[in-house]
Parts: sequence; structure tokens; C-alpha cells
Amino acid sequence: MSSRSHAAMSIWRARNIRTTGDHAFTIYTVLMLAIVAIIPVGRAVWLSAASPTGLSMLADAAAPSSASLIVAAVWAGALLLGRDRGPAVLPPFVTHAFATSDRPRFDTFRAPLLRSGMIVVTGCTIAAGLIGTSLASNGLAGLEAVATFTAVGVLVGVITTVAWLVGQVFPRAAVVGALGILALGAVTVAVPAVQTYTPWGWVDLAYPTSGSSPSLLALAALAIALFGLIPVLMNRLGFAQLATQAARWDSATTHAAGMDFSSAATIYQPKPHSGRRIRAVRPRAGLTWTFLVRDAIGAIRTPGRLLVGILALSSAGVLLALAFAPTTPGWLLGAAAGVIAFAGLGPLTDGIRHAASVAAGFPLYGISDERLLAQHALFPLAATLVVLLAVVMLCTILIGTASGTAAVSSLALALFALVTRISNALKGSLPLTLLIPISTPAGDPMAAVRVIWGLDAIVLAALGGAAAALAFESPVLLLGVSAILTSIGIKRWRDRR
Amino acid sequence: MIEVDEVGVVAGDVTLLAPVSASARRGEALIVRGRNGTGKSTLLRVLAGVRKPSSGTVRIGDSAVAERDRGFRRRVSTMIGLPPMAVDLTVRDHVVLVATTWFDDPVAAVDLAHSVLAELGLDKLGERFPHELSSGQTQLFGLALVLARPFEVLILDEPEQRLDPEHIESVIRVLGSRRDVGATLVVATHSLVLAEALADHTLQLEAVA
Repeated sequence: MSSRSHAAMSIWRARNIRTTGDHAFTIYTVLMLAIVAIIPVGRAVWLSAASPTGLSMLADAAAPSSASLIVAAVWAGALLLGRDRGPAVLPPFVTHAFATSDRPRFDTFRAPLLRSGMIVVTGCTIAAGLIGTSLASNGLAGLEAVATFTAVGVLVGVITTVAWLVGQVFPRAAVVGALGILALGAVTVAVPAVQTYTPWGWVDLAYPTSGSSPSLLALAALAIALFGLIPVLMNRLGFAQLATQAARWDSATTHAAGMDFSSAATIYQPKPHSGRRIRAVRPRAGLTWTFLVRDAIGAIRTPGRLLVGILALSSAGVLLALAFAPTTPGWLLGAAAGVIAFAGLGPLTDGIRHAASVAAGFPLYGISDERLLAQHALFPLAATLVVLLAVVMLCTILIGTASGTAAVSSLALALFALVTRISNALKGSLPLTLLIPISTPAGDPMAAVRVIWGLDAIVLAALGGAAAALAFESPVLLLGVSAILTSIGIKRWRDRR
Repeated sequence: MIEVDEVGVVAGDVTLLAPVSASARRGEALIVRGRNGTGKSTLLRVLAGVRKPSSGTVRIGDSAVAERDRGFRRRVSTMIGLPPMAVDLTVRDHVVLVATTWFDDPVAAVDLAHSVLAELGLDKLGERFPHELSSGQTQLFGLALVLARPFEVLILDEPEQRLDPEHIESVIRVLGSRRDVGATLVVATHSLVLAEALADHTLQLEAVA
């Protein structure tokens, strides 16, 4: 960073004068976070990796090719992520000041890129080191292989950061690039002879159980070459794109800080640009059909988003079917299915969110708020039921478990996920009472309460999924969750204005 | 048609609207004027039934204001701020959908929607999505949504917002035509042009002491 850029950043940082107490509180918060969350989660991850089940997975013959596929998916994901939120993002005001100055982008936006890159490289290195150490501690890999694979983790992190930047600089080409990487990644797994020629194949070859130093050198050469491209790439960052990403990130983090995660996610929701010539409203066939068609065409207008939603619902169906297999943890798979079904319903429930906004304002439509909501619930309910039932039936036939019980559970899962979506749409803003600190011997619990309030939809979706999976083992849980979801939904409906 | 009798709104110790009285008959326009903070929007919210007055009474069409009553919803169309807009519908889709829910005859609904779009100069923007409109076009789109339906009373808060003089003239023409066919208008505005063109009665609100 040049002295001019550094001076500008110093002025920006000096706008909020932080006292020694503020710094002490930050250190205290980080320490508490580490003790309460990071260390226990890290320990749990290590214990899982070192457990017999974890070890058998990591030492499996298919593990190297799985690792290469995961790396390909991470690089494709980084390309796609860069389109909406790249690694070179600063606050909106600083972005405007720097992006309209005569300084090159490599000078002014290098610091956020380095920060983002450090996080990615650290994450990849820890993941690779964890895999290697877990294998080595049980005598399944040598120390040299572990060191090599950890170095691969560093290089994968560097390449991921550059892919992330490429996505930010070339948002349109990023989609093609991501699809190409995913396709080639799948080809590499299917045709082992290709491994030598693809970067993700090099990860496969450098896996601790198959360790190969030449692949590390190839990966290092690629990482260095891409690293050298960073200045050129950064200097191609456009002002409008930087400003848009800065504004969206600023807005999303502000919403997230206020525990309004739905609004934060909405900021990154893709807007429709296609299908404008398809008539979404065909009023001659009655209102119910009109709304059903309108919601279906509305969803088709963001096809990528719709596809992701249907894939997520399908994944939820697979998990729910697996929950009925004899040796699987049914409640855990059910809870995961509930959360994924809730997420997958997002692209199908734009109509429900619109109905919730209308119900909170002045009458816009010539039907009651209740009927408007019901009309908009039809399409997501029908689509979810069709996808879940089809996937669950198929999976239960393949696994050889009872289809009838799983089908009934998928019905419950669809209803729970939809009711949670409706309830979330009617949620409103954080109640002021949750901002009042409460003193207890264990400290102020309100921060945790606010987080739970912000993430209540995820908790309820998980509960709904678990209850659906255990519908026949524990009908009381099913009834209890139904009662909780219904009462929360009714309360929010009554308080919608 | 509208009778406002000594209506005032107080929240805690704060007076949001000092008591005012006004009236407008069928086919008349009541223009509400006043500086920022004098209670224009609060008065409109009382008329629309979403805010209860602390004092006084409001009658619309010889009956009390009841926001959730079906008859009241059909009689009164309100725009205070922009109405919620569906992100996945084009301008034309959206206006047609709103009209469709108000009419039993789908042909009449489509005809009304298309005529409202044409009146406001939005017919050429029919295939745009809401996020593709400028701020002025979004304001016109909001007006189209509240006009594409039957109503006896039209309540608008600063319909001239974000509009250039040419489009303000369009809005005056559209609102004038509704008034001329018997609708009662209640319009809060900072636009002298709009006020002079439409006003049958003017209610001047004064700053709360």
C-alpha cells in the first residue's frame, strides 16, 4: 500500500476512536469465543477425524479422489462466490474514495485481498493438516507425506483466493469456468489417467496415503503463476462492480448484526432478468390456478436459483430416506433434512414473502390477507411434495426400506418446512425487549438469546425435520413440534402490522 | 363522503397531529398541505384505518373507518409510501394480477390494467421487473397498483415524489379523471402545481407547538 493509500486508511480507521477498554473488551470477546465455541468445535472435529469411522473414511481407497472432487468444487464455488462477494471489498465510502482516485487497484484494494486470502489459506491448511495428522497418528501415513499434503493445503488456499478474485473480476466468465471445473473434476474421478493433467488430480496424487512429490511441484508452479497474475487481475476491477459489492456487503452485515438474517440473505438473492415475455398472470382460469401459475413462472424467471432449490429439496429427500435405514441416526439425518428443505424452499416462496409484506401494509389485492397467503402457499407446497415424495420413494426402493412410512414423513417434512418459511416471512424486526441486558450470575444471556431469535427458523426447521423422521417412533414429538410451529405462526400473523 | 371531525393523534407526550376538521364530498379532492412533521401522513393513516385517532371521529361513506372490513377495503384505495412489489413479476404481470383479484370478469380486469398502464405512460415498460425501473418509474408503478382496482376514495401521500414536472402533469391528469367520475381524493402534497390543479378543499396543517 502506498503512503497516500495508507494515510487515507489511517484517517478512515481513526473515525472511531477506540479506548483501551474497547480493545480489552475485544480481546475478552475473542477469548470467550475461542473457549466457548472454537476450541470445543475444533476438538469435536479432531475427535471425529481420529475416530475409527473417521479414519476409515480418510483412509478409504476413494478418499484421494473425493479430496480432488472437493477441491474442484471449492474452486468452482470460489469463482461463483466472487461474482457476488469478491475478496477485494472495502466499506462503501473507502471504496468510492479509492476507486475514483488515480491509484492502481492493486495498491488500494490489496489489503482486503490479503486478509481474505489469509483466511482461505489458513482454512485450507488446517483442513489438509488435520487429514494428514489424523492418518499419521494412526500409522497410516508418513511424516513426509503429511508435510507434503499440508503444503498442498497452502497451495490450494492460494489458488482458491485467486479463483475468488477471478470471479470478482470476470463475473460472467466465472459461471462457465465453474461449470467447466466441476465437469472436469467429475471426469478426473471417473478417468484416473487424467489425474496427472489436472490441478485437482494433483491433489489426489498428493494425498497422504498415495503421496507424490512431483504433483506438489506442479501445484506449486500453478499457484506461483496465478499469484503473479493478481496485480493484473486487480487492476481490471471496475468501479461500478466494486461499489455494488461494497454496498451489498455493508448492507448485509448491518442486517446480520441486527440478527435479521433473512434480509441479509435477500440482498444476495439473484434478481430475475429472463422470462419477461412469458405471461405469468393468466386470469381466465380462476384465482387459485392464476396464483399457482404466477408463482411457478415467477420461480422459473431465476432458473439457477430454482435449480439450486430443487437440488436442495432432493438432498433433503435423500437424507430423510436414509433416516429410515436401520443403522443410521434418524433424528440427526431428519434434522439435517429439515434445515436443507427449509433452505431449498427459499426460491419457491417469493410469493409467500410478498403476501407477508402485503399483509403488513395497506390492502393491495381484492382478496383477504389470509386467502392471499393461502394462494401463494399452493405452489411451494405442491412443488415440495412432488420433489420430496419422488426422491424419498426412489431412495427407499434403492435402500430397501419401507416406502409408506417414509412417504408419510416426507409429507410432514414438507408441511413443517413450509410453515417455518411462512412464519419466517412474518417474523418482523428484532423486538426491542431483547436489547435490554439482564444480569445473571452467569453473565448477560441476552446476546445468546438474540442469536437464537435470529436463527430461530433454522432451529425450528431442524426440529421439524427430526420430528418428521421420528414420526412413527415418537408421535408426541411430531404433535409437539406441530403445536409450536402453529402457535408461533399464528402469533406472528396476529402481530404482522 | 369523508368527514373528519376534530381528529388528533397523540403518542405518549408527543402530539403527532393537532386536532383538525375537514370534509370532501363525492367527486371532490381534499388537498392536505403543511410542512414536514405537521402530521399529513398521520392524518392519512387515520383515514386509511391503520392508525386510531386519540380524539375526534372519521367517517367515510357514512360509516366509521374499519380497515379490516371487506366493504371498507373495496371503497378505499391507499398509497402511503410505495406498495410492496413482487420481485418476480413484471410491471404488466403485477398490475394485471392486482386488477384480477378485484374483478369477477377477467377481461374487465385486464382492460383496466392496460388502460392504467397506458395513462401513466408505463405501457412501454410493461416487461420490466421492478428492480429495472428508475425511482420515478417506480413511483408511477406504485400509483398504477393502487389505481388498477375499483374505489370510491383514493388516499395518496405525496404522489409527486421522485417525478419530473412532465410526469407530475400526467399524474394530475390521471387523478383529475378519477375525481371527475366521482371518486373522492385525499392527497397530501408538497407540490403547489398538483394542489392548485386538483384542490376542491385545502386543509393546511400547522406545525405542532
